[in-house]
Amino acid sequence: MAKEKETKPMGNTVIGSSIVVDGEISGEEPITILGTVKGKVAVAQGVVVEAGATVEADIEGQTVTVSGKVTGNVTAREKLELRPESKMVGNAKAPRIVVADGASFKGNVDMDV
Amino acid sequence: MADKETVIGVETRISGEIRGEEDLVVKGRVDGKIHLSHALTVEKGAIVQADVDVRNLVISGTLVGNIVASESVRLLATARVVGDLAAPRVIMDAGAAYRGRVDMGDIEAARAAVASRSVAKPVASSASTAKASTATNRPAPPRVAPTPKTAAFAAKVAPRFVAPSASDRSAESAPAAPPAFPRVAGSVGSAAPAWAKKKIRRR
Repeated sequence: MAKEKETKPMGNTVIGSSIVVDGEISGEEPITILGTVKGKVAVAQGVVVEAGATVEADIEGQTVTVSGKVTGNVTAREKLELRPESKMVGNAKAPRIVVADGASFKGNVDMDV
Repeated sequence: MADKETVIGVETRISGEIRGEEDLVVKGRVDGKIHLSHALTVEKGAIVQADVDVRNLVISGTLVGNIVASESVRLLATARVVGDLAAPRVIMDAGAAYRGRVDMGDIEAARAAVASRSVAKPVASSASTAKASTATNRPAPPRVAPTPKTAAFAAKVAPRFVAPSASDRSAESAPAAPPAFPRVAGSVGSAAPAWAKKKIRRR
Protein backbone atom coordinates (compact mmCIF):
# COMPACT_ATOMS: atom_id res chain seq x y z
CA MET A 1 0.00 0.00 0.00
CA ALA A 2 2.96 2.27 0.55
CA LYS A 3 3.70 1.88 -3.11
CA GLU A 4 0.26 3.13 -3.94
CA LYS A 5 0.81 6.30 -1.97
CA GLU A 6 3.97 7.00 -3.90
CA THR A 7 2.32 6.58 -7.25
CA LYS A 8 -0.66 8.77 -6.63
CA PRO A 9 0.73 11.97 -8.17
CA MET A 10 1.37 9.92 -11.29
CA GLY A 11 -2.36 9.57 -11.76
CA ASN A 12 -3.08 10.11 -15.40
CA THR A 13 -5.87 12.50 -14.66
CA VAL A 14 -5.22 15.40 -12.36
CA ILE A 15 -7.72 18.02 -11.32
CA GLY A 16 -5.56 20.93 -10.23
CA SER A 17 -6.03 22.98 -7.10
CA SER A 18 -7.69 25.95 -8.78
CA ILE A 19 -9.98 23.90 -10.97
CA VAL A 20 -13.66 23.44 -10.37
CA VAL A 21 -15.40 20.58 -12.14
CA ASP A 22 -19.15 20.61 -12.04
CA GLY A 23 -20.46 17.43 -13.52
CA GLU A 24 -19.49 13.85 -13.95
CA ILE A 25 -16.04 12.37 -14.19
CA SER A 26 -15.76 8.84 -15.47
CA GLY A 27 -12.93 6.80 -16.82
CA GLU A 28 -10.65 3.82 -16.75
CA GLU A 29 -7.60 5.37 -15.17
CA PRO A 30 -6.47 6.73 -11.83
CA ILE A 31 -7.51 10.23 -10.90
CA THR A 32 -6.01 12.71 -8.47
CA ILE A 33 -8.14 15.58 -7.25
CA LEU A 34 -6.55 18.68 -5.79
CA GLY A 35 -9.32 21.09 -6.65
CA THR A 36 -13.07 21.00 -6.40
CA VAL A 37 -15.39 18.45 -7.93
CA LYS A 38 -19.14 18.55 -7.72
CA GLY A 39 -21.36 15.88 -9.17
CA LYS A 40 -20.08 12.38 -9.57
CA VAL A 41 -16.78 10.59 -9.85
CA ALA A 42 -16.82 7.06 -11.18
CA VAL A 43 -13.58 5.49 -12.34
CA ALA A 44 -12.29 1.97 -12.71
CA GLN A 45 -9.10 2.65 -10.79
CA GLY A 46 -7.87 4.64 -7.84
CA VAL A 47 -9.28 7.95 -6.73
CA VAL A 48 -7.13 10.22 -4.60
CA VAL A 49 -8.63 13.25 -2.94
CA GLU A 50 -5.63 15.29 -1.87
CA ALA A 51 -5.37 17.61 1.08
CA GLY A 52 -7.02 20.90 0.21
CA ALA A 53 -9.35 19.30 -2.29
CA THR A 54 -13.11 19.48 -1.95
CA VAL A 55 -15.35 16.84 -3.41
CA GLU A 56 -19.08 17.21 -3.22
CA ALA A 57 -19.86 14.11 -5.15
CA ASP A 58 -20.47 10.44 -5.00
CA ILE A 59 -17.21 8.63 -5.56
CA GLU A 60 -16.77 5.21 -7.06
CA GLY A 61 -13.40 3.59 -7.58
CA GLN A 62 -11.15 0.63 -7.05
CA THR A 63 -9.38 2.28 -4.15
CA VAL A 64 -10.36 5.63 -2.72
CA THR A 65 -7.89 7.61 -0.66
CA VAL A 66 -9.10 10.76 1.05
CA SER A 67 -6.84 13.42 2.50
CA GLY A 68 -9.14 16.34 1.75
CA LYS A 69 -12.81 16.91 2.22
CA VAL A 70 -15.51 14.67 0.80
CA THR A 71 -19.24 15.15 0.99
CA GLY A 72 -21.03 12.27 -0.64
CA ASN A 73 -21.27 8.54 -0.76
CA VAL A 74 -18.07 6.67 -1.39
CA THR A 75 -17.93 3.22 -2.89
CA ALA A 76 -14.59 1.51 -3.18
CA ARG A 77 -14.39 -1.92 -4.75
CA GLU A 78 -11.20 -2.68 -2.89
CA LYS A 79 -10.36 -0.22 -0.16
CA LEU A 80 -11.30 3.12 1.30
CA GLU A 81 -8.70 5.03 3.23
CA LEU A 82 -9.38 8.12 5.29
CA ARG A 83 -6.11 9.85 6.07
CA PRO A 84 -5.44 11.78 9.27
CA GLU A 85 -6.33 15.21 7.93
CA SER A 86 -9.38 14.08 5.99
CA LYS A 87 -12.99 15.03 6.48
CA MET A 88 -15.80 12.96 5.17
CA VAL A 89 -19.56 13.17 5.39
CA GLY A 90 -21.47 10.42 3.66
CA ASN A 91 -21.86 6.70 3.48
CA ALA A 92 -18.84 4.54 2.97
CA LYS A 93 -19.00 1.20 1.22
CA ALA A 94 -15.93 -0.93 0.78
CA PRO A 95 -14.65 -4.38 1.74
CA ARG A 96 -11.76 -2.77 3.57
CA ILE A 97 -11.87 0.59 5.27
CA VAL A 98 -9.01 2.35 6.98
CA VAL A 99 -9.74 5.33 9.16
CA ALA A 100 -6.59 7.02 10.38
CA ASP A 101 -6.24 8.73 13.71
CA GLY A 102 -7.32 12.35 13.20
CA ALA A 103 -9.73 11.70 10.37
CA SER A 104 -13.24 12.98 10.82
CA PHE A 105 -16.07 10.94 9.44
CA LYS A 106 -19.81 11.01 9.63
CA GLY A 107 -21.96 8.44 7.91
CA ASN A 108 -22.77 4.80 7.56
CA VAL A 109 -20.21 2.14 6.99
CA ASP A 110 -20.96 -0.89 4.87
CA MET A 111 -18.23 -3.51 4.66
CA ASP A 112 -20.43 -6.13 3.07
CA VAL A 113 -20.60 -8.43 6.09
CA MET B 1 3.55 17.07 -7.30
CA ALA B 2 1.75 17.72 -10.48
CA ASP B 3 -0.33 20.53 -9.07
CA LYS B 4 0.45 23.25 -11.58
CA GLU B 5 -1.29 21.60 -14.42
CA THR B 6 -4.57 19.83 -14.70
CA VAL B 7 -4.72 16.82 -16.95
CA ILE B 8 -7.73 14.93 -18.15
CA GLY B 9 -6.22 11.58 -19.01
CA VAL B 10 -6.76 9.52 -22.13
CA GLU B 11 -9.23 7.17 -20.49
CA THR B 12 -11.13 9.82 -18.59
CA ARG B 13 -14.32 11.54 -19.51
CA ILE B 14 -15.84 14.58 -17.89
CA SER B 15 -19.30 15.74 -18.65
CA GLY B 16 -20.17 19.04 -17.08
CA GLU B 17 -18.37 22.25 -16.49
CA ILE B 18 -14.71 22.87 -15.82
CA ARG B 19 -13.60 26.22 -14.44
CA GLY B 20 -10.28 27.31 -13.08
CA GLU B 21 -7.18 29.47 -12.95
CA GLU B 22 -4.59 27.11 -14.30
CA ASP B 23 -3.51 25.32 -17.44
CA LEU B 24 -5.60 22.41 -18.55
CA VAL B 25 -4.55 19.59 -20.80
CA VAL B 26 -7.23 17.34 -22.22
CA LYS B 27 -6.10 13.98 -23.53
CA GLY B 28 -9.41 12.25 -23.00
CA ARG B 29 -12.87 13.61 -23.40
CA VAL B 30 -14.78 16.59 -22.06
CA ASP B 31 -18.42 17.36 -22.77
CA GLY B 32 -19.94 20.56 -21.50
CA LYS B 33 -18.14 23.81 -20.83
CA ILE B 34 -14.58 24.88 -20.19
CA HIS B 35 -13.84 28.28 -18.69
CA LEU B 36 -10.22 29.02 -17.83
CA SER B 37 -8.14 32.11 -17.21
CA HIS B 38 -5.16 30.17 -18.55
CA ALA B 39 -4.33 27.91 -21.44
CA LEU B 40 -6.21 24.91 -22.72
CA THR B 41 -4.49 22.21 -24.72
CA VAL B 42 -6.53 19.65 -26.56
CA GLU B 43 -4.13 16.87 -27.34
CA LYS B 44 -4.16 14.60 -30.34
CA GLY B 45 -6.81 11.94 -29.85
CA ALA B 46 -8.73 14.03 -27.35
CA ILE B 47 -12.34 14.93 -27.94
CA VAL B 48 -13.81 18.11 -26.53
CA GLN B 49 -17.45 18.83 -27.14
CA ALA B 50 -17.79 22.05 -25.26
CA ASP B 51 -18.03 25.78 -25.40
CA VAL B 52 -14.58 27.02 -24.57
CA ASP B 53 -13.63 30.33 -23.01
CA VAL B 54 -9.90 30.53 -22.29
CA ARG B 55 -6.87 32.75 -22.74
CA ASN B 56 -4.81 30.55 -25.05
CA LEU B 57 -5.99 27.50 -26.88
CA VAL B 58 -3.91 24.90 -28.68
CA ILE B 59 -5.74 22.15 -30.48
CA SER B 60 -4.31 18.99 -31.98
CA GLY B 61 -7.36 16.88 -31.28
CA THR B 62 -11.03 17.27 -31.99
CA LEU B 63 -13.10 20.14 -30.69
CA VAL B 64 -16.75 20.79 -31.35
CA GLY B 65 -18.15 23.96 -29.84
CA ASN B 66 -17.82 27.68 -29.83
CA ILE B 67 -14.44 29.07 -28.94
CA VAL B 68 -13.60 32.36 -27.30
CA ALA B 69 -9.94 33.01 -26.56
CA SER B 70 -8.74 36.29 -25.11
CA GLU B 71 -5.26 35.84 -26.60
CA SER B 72 -4.76 33.20 -29.23
CA VAL B 73 -6.02 30.05 -30.84
CA ARG B 74 -3.76 27.64 -32.63
CA LEU B 75 -4.96 24.74 -34.72
CA LEU B 76 -2.18 22.25 -35.28
CA ALA B 77 -2.03 19.94 -38.26
CA THR B 78 -4.06 17.16 -36.67
CA ALA B 79 -6.79 19.46 -35.34
CA ARG B 80 -10.41 18.89 -36.28
CA VAL B 81 -12.56 21.78 -35.19
CA VAL B 82 -16.18 22.70 -35.76
CA GLY B 83 -17.61 25.85 -34.23
CA ASP B 84 -17.33 29.60 -34.22
CA LEU B 85 -14.04 31.02 -33.19
CA ALA B 86 -13.34 34.42 -31.65
CA ALA B 87 -9.78 35.41 -30.81
CA PRO B 88 -7.43 38.29 -31.64
CA ARG B 89 -4.82 35.85 -32.89
CA VAL B 90 -5.70 32.76 -34.86
CA ILE B 91 -3.07 30.41 -36.20
CA MET B 92 -3.93 27.46 -38.40
CA ASP B 93 -1.29 24.99 -39.40
CA ALA B 94 -1.42 23.18 -42.71
CA GLY B 95 -3.57 20.09 -42.37
CA ALA B 96 -5.90 21.50 -39.77
CA ALA B 97 -9.58 20.98 -40.51
CA TYR B 98 -11.97 23.68 -39.44
CA ARG B 99 -15.53 24.66 -40.10
CA GLY B 100 -17.09 27.74 -38.59
CA ARG B 101 -16.85 31.48 -38.41
CA VAL B 102 -13.73 33.31 -37.39
CA ASP B 103 -13.84 36.62 -35.60
CA MET B 104 -10.53 38.29 -34.91
CA GLY B 105 -12.18 41.37 -33.49
CA ASP B 106 -10.68 44.79 -34.25
CA ILE B 107 -10.76 45.21 -38.03
CA GLU B 108 -8.50 48.31 -38.06
CA ALA B 109 -5.75 46.39 -36.30
CA ALA B 110 -6.10 43.53 -38.76
CA ARG B 111 -5.93 45.89 -41.75
CA ALA B 112 -2.78 47.50 -40.43
CA ALA B 113 -1.23 44.10 -40.00
CA VAL B 114 -2.09 43.12 -43.58
CA ALA B 115 -0.71 46.38 -44.95
CA SER B 116 2.56 45.98 -43.10
CA ARG B 117 2.87 42.47 -44.47
CA SER B 118 2.40 43.57 -48.09
CA VAL B 119 5.17 46.10 -47.58
CA ALA B 120 7.47 43.62 -45.97
CA LYS B 121 7.25 41.08 -48.81
CA PRO B 122 9.12 42.99 -51.56
CA VAL B 123 12.01 43.57 -49.19
CA ALA B 124 12.34 39.87 -48.59
CA SER B 125 12.10 39.00 -52.29
CA SER B 126 14.74 41.51 -53.31
CA ALA B 127 17.09 40.01 -50.76
CA SER B 128 16.50 36.50 -52.07
CA THR B 129 16.86 37.49 -55.72
CA ALA B 130 20.08 39.28 -54.94
CA LYS B 131 21.42 35.96 -53.73
CA ALA B 132 20.07 34.18 -56.78
CA SER B 133 21.75 36.59 -59.17
CA THR B 134 25.14 35.77 -57.75
CA ALA B 135 24.56 32.05 -58.05
CA THR B 136 23.28 31.77 -61.64
CA ASN B 137 23.20 34.19 -64.50
CA ARG B 138 20.22 32.99 -66.46
CA PRO B 139 17.23 33.24 -64.17
CA ALA B 140 18.60 36.23 -62.35
CA PRO B 141 17.85 39.15 -64.70
CA PRO B 142 14.12 38.63 -65.16
CA ARG B 143 13.61 38.05 -61.47
CA VAL B 144 15.74 40.92 -60.32
CA ALA B 145 14.40 43.47 -62.75
CA PRO B 146 11.10 44.13 -60.95
CA THR B 147 12.75 44.81 -57.61
CA PRO B 148 13.41 48.53 -58.15
CA LYS B 149 9.73 48.92 -58.98
CA THR B 150 8.54 47.03 -55.96
CA ALA B 151 11.02 48.80 -53.73
CA ALA B 152 9.76 52.12 -54.99
CA PHE B 153 6.21 50.93 -54.58
CA ALA B 154 6.94 49.86 -51.03
CA ALA B 155 8.45 53.27 -50.28
CA LYS B 156 5.37 54.94 -51.71
CA VAL B 157 2.89 52.72 -49.98
CA ALA B 158 4.58 52.46 -46.62
CA PRO B 159 3.81 55.93 -45.24
CA ARG B 160 0.22 55.72 -46.38
CA PHE B 161 -0.80 52.43 -44.82
CA VAL B 162 1.38 51.91 -41.83
CA ALA B 163 1.68 55.27 -40.25
CA PRO B 164 3.45 54.36 -36.99
CA SER B 165 5.91 51.84 -38.37
CA ALA B 166 6.49 53.53 -41.73
CA SER B 167 9.84 54.93 -40.73
CA ASP B 168 10.97 51.52 -39.54
CA ARG B 169 9.84 49.83 -42.72
CA SER B 170 11.47 52.28 -45.08
CA ALA B 171 14.59 52.22 -42.95
CA GLU B 172 14.61 48.45 -43.31
CA SER B 173 14.03 48.43 -47.04
CA ALA B 174 16.56 51.15 -47.76
CA PRO B 175 19.67 49.27 -46.68
CA ALA B 176 18.32 46.00 -48.06
CA ALA B 177 17.72 47.35 -51.56
CA PRO B 178 21.00 49.12 -52.46
CA PRO B 179 23.18 46.01 -52.45
CA ALA B 180 20.78 44.55 -55.00
CA PHE B 181 20.98 47.48 -57.41
CA PRO B 182 24.66 47.37 -58.38
CA ARG B 183 24.37 43.68 -59.18
CA VAL B 184 21.23 44.28 -61.16
CA ALA B 185 22.87 47.07 -63.10
CA GLY B 186 25.84 44.82 -63.85
CA SER B 187 23.86 41.82 -65.03
CA VAL B 188 20.82 43.34 -66.70
CA GLY B 189 22.22 46.59 -68.07
CA SER B 190 25.21 45.28 -69.99
CA ALA B 191 25.30 41.50 -70.20
CA ALA B 192 21.69 40.42 -70.48
CA PRO B 193 19.91 42.31 -73.21
CA ALA B 194 17.30 40.93 -75.57
CA TRP B 195 16.20 37.60 -74.09
CA ALA B 196 15.96 39.04 -70.64
CA LYS B 197 13.78 41.90 -71.79
CA LYS B 198 11.52 39.51 -73.65
CA LYS B 199 10.98 37.54 -70.53
CA ILE B 200 10.13 40.63 -68.59
CA ARG B 201 7.56 41.68 -71.15
CA ARG B 202 6.02 38.25 -71.16
CA ARG B 203 5.47 38.57 -67.47
